[in-house]
Amino acid sequence: MTATPGGPCLRRLLLGALAGPLALTLGVACAREGARRAPRTLVAAIGGDPGHLNPAITTNGGVHTAAALLYDGLLTLDEQLQPQPALATRWEVEDGGARYVFHLRPGVRWHDGQPFTAADVEFTFTQVLLKFHARTRASLGPALAGVRVLDDSTVEFRFRRPYAPLLQQLDMVEAPIIPRHVFAGGDPLRNPANTAPVGTGPFRFVSYRAGSEIRYAANKDYFLGAPWLEAVVLRIIPDPATQVIALEAGEVDYLFAVPGPERERLRRDPRVRLLQATVNPGGSNCITTLGFNLDRPFFRDLRVRRAVAHAVNRDQIVERVLFGEGRAADAPISSRIAFAHAAGLPILAWDTARAAALLDSAGWTRGAAGQPRVARGVRGVADGTAFAIGLTVLPSQANYGDLLRAQLRAVGIDLRVEPLEQAVFSQAVFTARDFDTAIGAYCNGTDPEIGVRRMLVSSNVAPVPFSNMAGYRNPVVDSLFERAASALDPGERRRLYREIQELVVRDQPYVWLVETIATRAHSVRCHGFETSAHFAARARCGE
Amino acid sequence: MSTRFVLRRLLQVVPTVAGILLVSFVLVHAAPGDPVLALAGEHGDARYYADMRRHFGLDQPLPRQLVTYAGRVAHGDLGFSYVQGRSAAAVVMERVPATTLLTGTALLVAIMAAVPLGTLAGRRPFGARDVGVSALALGLYSAPVFWIGQLAILVIALRFGLAPVQGMITAGGDVTGLARAANVLRHLALPALVLASQELAVFVRLTRSGVIDELTRDHVRTARAKGVGERAVLLRHALPRALLPVVTVIGARAGHLVAGAAVVEIVFGWPGTGRLMLDALQTRDTPVLLALFLLVSLAVVLVNLATDLAYAAIDPRVRLR
Repeated sequence: MTATPGGPCLRRLLLGALAGPLALTLGVACAREGARRAPRTLVAAIGGDPGHLNPAITTNGGVHTAAALLYDGLLTLDEQLQPQPALATRWEVEDGGARYVFHLRPGVRWHDGQPFTAADVEFTFTQVLLKFHARTRASLGPALAGVRVLDDSTVEFRFRRPYAPLLQQLDMVEAPIIPRHVFAGGDPLRNPANTAPVGTGPFRFVSYRAGSEIRYAANKDYFLGAPWLEAVVLRIIPDPATQVIALEAGEVDYLFAVPGPERERLRRDPRVRLLQATVNPGGSNCITTLGFNLDRPFFRDLRVRRAVAHAVNRDQIVERVLFGEGRAADAPISSRIAFAHAAGLPILAWDTARAAALLDSAGWTRGAAGQPRVARGVRGVADGTAFAIGLTVLPSQANYGDLLRAQLRAVGIDLRVEPLEQAVFSQAVFTARDFDTAIGAYCNGTDPEIGVRRMLVSSNVAPVPFSNMAGYRNPVVDSLFERAASALDPGERRRLYREIQELVVRDQPYVWLVETIATRAHSVRCHGFETSAHFAARARCGE
Repeated sequence: MSTRFVLRRLLQVVPTVAGILLVSFVLVHAAPGDPVLALAGEHGDARYYADMRRHFGLDQPLPRQLVTYAGRVAHGDLGFSYVQGRSAAAVVMERVPATTLLTGTALLVAIMAAVPLGTLAGRRPFGARDVGVSALALGLYSAPVFWIGQLAILVIALRFGLAPVQGMITAGGDVTGLARAANVLRHLALPALVLASQELAVFVRLTRSGVIDELTRDHVRTARAKGVGERAVLLRHALPRALLPVVTVIGARAGHLVAGAAVVEIVFGWPGTGRLMLDALQTRDTPVLLALFLLVSLAVVLVNLATDLAYAAIDPRVRLR
């Protein structure tokens, strides 16, 4: 008897194997594109599910990006960071800067139809911002004596002493105003309105599908004029590479960020335009900074810190880590805060010979070829100890670490890159202070009071993320910051900030590496985007 | 097989799940990282973080927190998400349908493809078909899933436009009823196929070795000697018993049905539980994490029960007591 060759059975098996994937593919082929994009709709990609949409209870950048279109601040800041009217139309500064009075815009209504009044402002500051908005609480809290409603359209801020930076801290990022009638009398962190928000902004909330998308519709009654767009969809796409492909495929019109390697591809794509921005919701004008743990004997000697600064090649970082988008930092304050940025500071240039000489003189003698330097008479370090140190970084900054490791090896310092995820990084660096060196992206914000002071004053060596990482303590710097905060005269403030920058550049508790910028990308069928928080308020698509 | 068996197994669920929750609770809290630092963002002052810690009850000693948590769970309350300020159970449950749809489809597709392919391969071990099938399955299995995913997106979605790049439904599209189902199906195809390609290898290998094994058994020889056709020998006498290990592995895979497939969900922007778990891990959103663990362990225990019942149905020798 001959065995039946495969025959029908075999064919059936093969067909069976193909049936599953085939059915799926066929089903797809049959299913026509079910939904076309509605006209006047913008689809923008965001990287993560924000979880909620209340920017008054957090400084989390994801929440601020997603919620920005819904809210307003009392003021807004223009490109030069000068205050412009928003919910407040005019203001008076009195008592040498210890009292501010704001006159609110008449006729503004919340998205649910209730009128916006001074009570909302008072409530937002005293009950929410000063309790839950970490940055506003830390900067404004200690200085503010009280917020008082004078009448329905007038509100007063009183300070314990003259407070100069207030007008830079009242925009949508630092102080979004939320409705009292929605939030009063409960725990603001658990209010249902956090995921179904009510604001005054150019767009109102429509729906929030967790992990998928958030939808907004135009606020036709917006006080600065109705947006041209009828709807904005924020699409949650976690993978940056997929975001770029979705833009190329036309499924998405706008990206808040483009990864370096993909930027060139998009630049050559005629269907895509790139925009550059230094303003990000939740943090702007950022300087990526290398911090020394000054509590460690390795870095007590100024010569060692200066040697590391000489060993770092900033231009190479701009080129290889930022792919050309950014600039070498030339001062501790961002060049975007023009009034405070000091030009012509003696920032140490890349000079490996000088770095080597400084290390020699500090007692770090050259090791064998390819080996790190070894201590000989370095105070607090046992003789024979190798110059091998850790560099703690967030995973997203590991490429800074790789480049720095190569640069420091050239002068005989062995750098071990230790990536830690956010929650662990904060604990290791700021709470336990268990690190040698670390990288922090210090966002300066719109005023040195917001984002520079915190990394330099001794009172802020604290278990707080992105506080004074180095553990730098200089009473002169402390008192200069005090004076700068209450100096109303711009010339005086500029002079004080220059003095601070000269001092800290000399002490070198940090190496200020690069000023970063963000690249946005959008489809050519859309235009009119702004780099401010209300990015789509005046945008147009598909005309 | 009896109701008693099922009842007894269901009662075992309680201590099992309680044990899993206890271990997870301790592990999550033993891991370094502070939810408040992750949650509140930067720039706060120390008092702010202390206030937040008090707000969430994180200032209590760990055993105290555990007692509070256990008491709540016993009353069916899984707590509030630190990040979202909503019930952790609600946060988790709204992501389950998307994940189950994705992983369920992938599992189904993988099995439908793997059983015939494995049978084909097992009929003549080391024949041309066997080598071809095994190479395909192992090749897909060895490639990293994010790479296959990206490749599928670049070629199938971007180059040929056969499927959407990302998401579960067209952005901002208002579709309902049948059109909605079709829209979801279009979005489902690519991630489900990519995920299925990963599952395929295991099922192919198991079916293949099962078939090889069974074809040498006495009962198969007897069947052939009786003059039963080769097709009937294969499909009726060898295959059912060869599939027993496959059923076992399906049961073991069932955790994925609710736990999600994080990598595929991230690459395709699929709103499932895998992504939620990763987010919750990164922000140390303990209530959400524990709710997810609870759900997954429940699913695994229940599906294992179902697997045992399926065993009894396939193999008459198995008696459940």
